[in-house]
Amino acid sequence: MNFRDLVVISTGNLRRMKLRTLLTSAGVLIAIAAFVSMLSFGAGSQQNIEQQFNKLGLFTTMHVYPKDGSKNSDSSSSPRLDKEAIERISSIPGVNLVYPYDAFSVNVSLGDTIVQSKAQALSSVAFQTKIFSTLLAGSSFTSDTSREAIISDELLKKAHIDTPKTAIGKSVVISVKVSTIDSGLTHIFVDKGESLFDRAKRIDIDSLFKKAYRSRILRSEANEVARRFVNGFMNAQEVISDTLTICGVRESRRMGRTRIEPVIIPFETAQRFKTGGLGGSPMEIMAAITSGTLFSEQDRLEGQNFSQVTLDFDPKVPYTRIKDTVEGMGYRTFSFAAEFEEVQKVFLYFDMALGLIGLIALSTASLGIVNTMVMSINERRREIGILKSLGAYETDIRALFLVESGAIGFLGTTAGIAFGWIITRVASAIAKHFMEKEGIPAVDLFAMPLWLIGIAVTVGVGVSVVAGLYPAARAARVDPVAALRNE
Amino acid sequence: MSDEPYLDALDLCRHYRRGPHVVRALDGVSLAIRRGEYIGVVGSSGSGKTTLLNLLAGLDTPTSGALKFSGRSFTSMSRRELASYRAHNVGMIFQSFNLISHYSALQNVETALLFNNTSPEKRRRLSTAMLEQLGLADRLAHRPADLSGGEQQRVAVARAIVKNPEILFADEPTGNLDYENALQISSLMTGLNRNGLTIVLVTHNLELAQQQSHRTIRMQYGHLVADEAVHRPGEPGT
Repeated sequence: MNFRDLVVISTGNLRRMKLRTLLTSAGVLIAIAAFVSMLSFGAGSQQNIEQQFNKLGLFTTMHVYPKDGSKNSDSSSSPRLDKEAIERISSIPGVNLVYPYDAFSVNVSLGDTIVQSKAQALSSVAFQTKIFSTLLAGSSFTSDTSREAIISDELLKKAHIDTPKTAIGKSVVISVKVSTIDSGLTHIFVDKGESLFDRAKRIDIDSLFKKAYRSRILRSEANEVARRFVNGFMNAQEVISDTLTICGVRESRRMGRTRIEPVIIPFETAQRFKTGGLGGSPMEIMAAITSGTLFSEQDRLEGQNFSQVTLDFDPKVPYTRIKDTVEGMGYRTFSFAAEFEEVQKVFLYFDMALGLIGLIALSTASLGIVNTMVMSINERRREIGILKSLGAYETDIRALFLVESGAIGFLGTTAGIAFGWIITRVASAIAKHFMEKEGIPAVDLFAMPLWLIGIAVTVGVGVSVVAGLYPAARAARVDPVAALRNE
Repeated sequence: MSDEPYLDALDLCRHYRRGPHVVRALDGVSLAIRRGEYIGVVGSSGSGKTTLLNLLAGLDTPTSGALKFSGRSFTSMSRRELASYRAHNVGMIFQSFNLISHYSALQNVETALLFNNTSPEKRRRLSTAMLEQLGLADRLAHRPADLSGGEQQRVAVARAIVKNPEILFADEPTGNLDYENALQISSLMTGLNRNGLTIVLVTHNLELAQQQSHRTIRMQYGHLVADEAVHRPGEPGT
């Protein structure tokens, strides 16, 4: 008996027992629908992440940090992440381009609106990467020295501009307040109309010979000098401003560890905002104090260390090669490709857990198949006896019942996949509705790739065939003499 | 008729265990069947006729004794080879017809060709021709329940002989039939034997056996008690 005969005979038998076949298949249908829906969720989530990574080119993006995590690392313990380091990293084979993350606080004046924000100096080469190349409107900088800016749509909304296109060509005033050492020193001598000389006049010179008086005066005057310096340094800040033209608008979105600020300014253009002194940020002042460059402006500018450098590499080059080379130079790295490998592992466990739940449902359905097949064998003992008397071998009988259980499984699996697909579409539509309602970009939470359909068919039919093994073996063992005598 | 035995049974025993008791359904039967013979096996109920037939057809295995088919011992044959022997060499007819109730007459006959590597097209052609030859051309699509007893038995005969077997085992083939139909089946079997088919007919009807066969074997309590040639007037050797 060949496979075609087996299929014809088996399907004929199943057609004869329509209700029983349909009810048994319904068990498989529900189990497979649950299995497919759950795995579809896992596949959908993974697909979304992969699409986002691909869209942004994150698989070829790597961040480099100083090893000790400090922006102002000591060269003796860990190499500096400065311009020189960028050049060295750029020369690694396979590295396409390298750009630093260089951010500072700014005031943005757009139309009638003034908002405090963060700006980022960025080399125009960075626009060759997918992270920066996708703009909602306009284009990237014409050069690193152009007086242009790219701003985020969120910032535009704060300025009551809802259509990105309309912002292109508009002027934006970027200003920074910088503190200078000069103003701090000046305030030591004159503060709030009172000069240092006026204060000195109030000191009783004769009493200075008394130890207690001397100590008190020295302490209070030293404190006063320090207060005057800090007041002068913090309050009398110089404002540096420039008017730039908006050349592009980008979507504000989180990109994991890739920090992108609301205002992006060409790298060289941005330097003038940083030449007047220290920015108003207390962190920046603290950094300058700890690095010993508070009073040495030139050192601060020339030896600028970056907290992060991003590199884009050739997709044909394995990320591990670049990673090993950069780490060999004494830096820490973060690679999205490595991160995605970890994510994939998590998804594998997630899928396995979901699949296991589906398999539990399927094992319950398989008991239905066993029951149906055993009933069928009991009813068809005489038929089995006849077939054996006609020359059927045990494997023919076994195959006949295995094909029947497999056919029940195939029927249930096919319908289950279709039903599972409907469930995922409905669930996806509901999820999208709520995402849109919450203002979250709507994504499809479910995916039904071909491999998932393949797995569902394999598992559904496989479990059904396995469920048919015991009944089939029982059918094969039927004694033809006893079966024919029953009649 | 060939002198070389086609089937050769020597001291054949088939014992069953029923609780503490051993049922000796067949006990020391020796028998040689030659090609072209028509043998009638007679005896009362429980005499071991059907057991003997099941053993000869390879459906059952003897408890002891030897059974050879064309000189080859059944005990040396695997279960697959025994199945192949049934598929290629043996045709069987039963008292209760044993047709598959949900198959049509044609499908029932085709089933006999499922296990001897006959192509689907040839199965259909041979089965149709066989049923037409037996006068059932207008009953091809009918299910057994829609056929009379005689028609059902003719379908069973068609199923048994469609594969052109070397030996036909008939277990009370006319037992459930009226006189007319019984006569029809009997003459059909006689015709088949005249065409060279070896037949073993199991019946409790001694008269039928003597009318039909060349040789009658009488069974009693599992023993072969008589093995006699039948001499009919006008036939050679009478």
